Amino acid sequence: MHLPRFILLQPKSLNEAIELLAESGPRAKLVAGGTDLFPRMKYRISLPEAVVTLKGLPVRDPELTPDGVLSLDSLMPLAQVVRSKVICDAAPIIADAADRVGSNQIRHMATVGGNLCQEVRCLYFNQSHSFQFVEPCFKRNGDMCYMFPKGRRCHAVFMSDLAPVLVCLDAELEIASVENRRSIRAAELYSGDPLRPFHLSDGDMVTGISVHLPKGSWGWAFEKLSLRGGLEFAILSVAVILETDDDDETCTRARIAVGALSPAPLRARKAEGILNKSKLSEDLFRAAAQQVSTEIAPAPHHGFTMQYVRKALEVKALDALNLAMRRVAGHGEHVFSAGRF
Amino acid sequence: MFFPQGDFEMKTIVELTVNGERHELAIEPHWTLLEVLREHLGLTGTKEGCGTGECGACTVLADGNPILSCLTLAAECRQMHITTVEGLAKEGKLTIVQEAFWESGAVQCGFCTPGMVLSVTALLQENPVPSEIAMSKALEGNLCRCTGYNKIIEAVHLAAKRLSSVR
Repeated sequence: MHLPRFILLQPKSLNEAIELLAESGPRAKLVAGGTDLFPRMKYRISLPEAVVTLKGLPVRDPELTPDGVLSLDSLMPLAQVVRSKVICDAAPIIADAADRVGSNQIRHMATVGGNLCQEVRCLYFNQSHSFQFVEPCFKRNGDMCYMFPKGRRCHAVFMSDLAPVLVCLDAELEIASVENRRSIRAAELYSGDPLRPFHLSDGDMVTGISVHLPKGSWGWAFEKLSLRGGLEFAILSVAVILETDDDDETCTRARIAVGALSPAPLRARKAEGILNKSKLSEDLFRAAAQQVSTEIAPAPHHGFTMQYVRKALEVKALDALNLAMRRVAGHGEHVFSAGRF
Repeated sequence: MFFPQGDFEMKTIVELTVNGERHELAIEPHWTLLEVLREHLGLTGTKEGCGTGECGACTVLADGNPILSCLTLAAECRQMHITTVEGLAKEGKLTIVQEAFWESGAVQCGFCTPGMVLSVTALLQENPVPSEIAMSKALEGNLCRCTGYNKIIEAVHLAAKRLSSVR
């Protein structure tokens, strides 16, 4: 399969990249690893006239300040995130989620920023349309969703694995454009509209991520359900952070975020409410997991029934809560695939 | 910004280092590394499976890291050292990984083998005594349509054992 023709712009610095992006407007696309954009270009569902590549630009090392703020470069390849001792020690949930993205080869190419800004996906949209005699769907400026009979709205979902984790951690994203530099909360990046999934304008670029780590004792878990491991995207993913009192039993703050079921990662606020300020127990986790699967409205995708997705969400949420609880108490050691840390 | 119209050619000279050899090539910006390796350098050991990053048949090593050559632009590889499966054997002698694949019968149709061998080579370079989980994690992006995964994992065990005795 061949890529369509385009002009390749290879800036020497981040500032030059931002200028080139502003100059070319909507006709250019930004590419870092290329694992999301190039397949779409090969399928001819994205046809930019120019591509601004960020490959080869210097990558900042992750830093942890004494007051517990972890900052990451958005150009960091996911494989480096997994191998970074700073990240594995300070925020292992980020390293774990990065370790579960795609395959080993994909993780060596794909970057953190690219993962957060990947296009929404659906089984109908993400394929070559050259042999099909059907009208375009919403994502290709049509007026019908072909995933469902008489689909009246787009059902594409956002499948990033890092996004629910960063939403869970309430991370801040640094966004740069020619006009200004600003920072927004991770949850604010996502609009929830599959046709325009990001609150970003054409010249905007996510340049960095900073995370205020919880103080005191906390446990974490990231659960992802997929049938073929690294060969496919998640059916659903759940990120959980439990902060506890000194007794390791009373929850001071619980955060649960669910990904791959909607056009934006979602927080399960009511389920968090069940856990907040309560003494943590197996029964409470069961109630919270049930609440997660009730309050998150999944967009049907991947060809699974709604009943299956809802049950799977409950099971995975319960697994994640139990694992996070074990980690609060210092058990459930995690070994990353790199095997170093 | 100047956007040319119609059928245009925009070849640039790019210097690529493949298997230790430097090549100077006139390439179009939209050519992938896979196309350049197979069609311009004649290195057909790297295979094109899906072309969209799902099967791992096109795996090559860039500075020792496994990457998908079907999703890498050749023009982006100026500074990298690319290793393909042809670059592994030295003077006709197979590497330990290649021999382990051969002896374990880890090759059926052979289409996924170049990618598998390169993924395993990268794994053993980073982690000489990998656990079985680390092995399957390193190979999760390589699809074997003959489904001969057990023999492939046996080959990785054999290669790891032989490598540790060499060291």
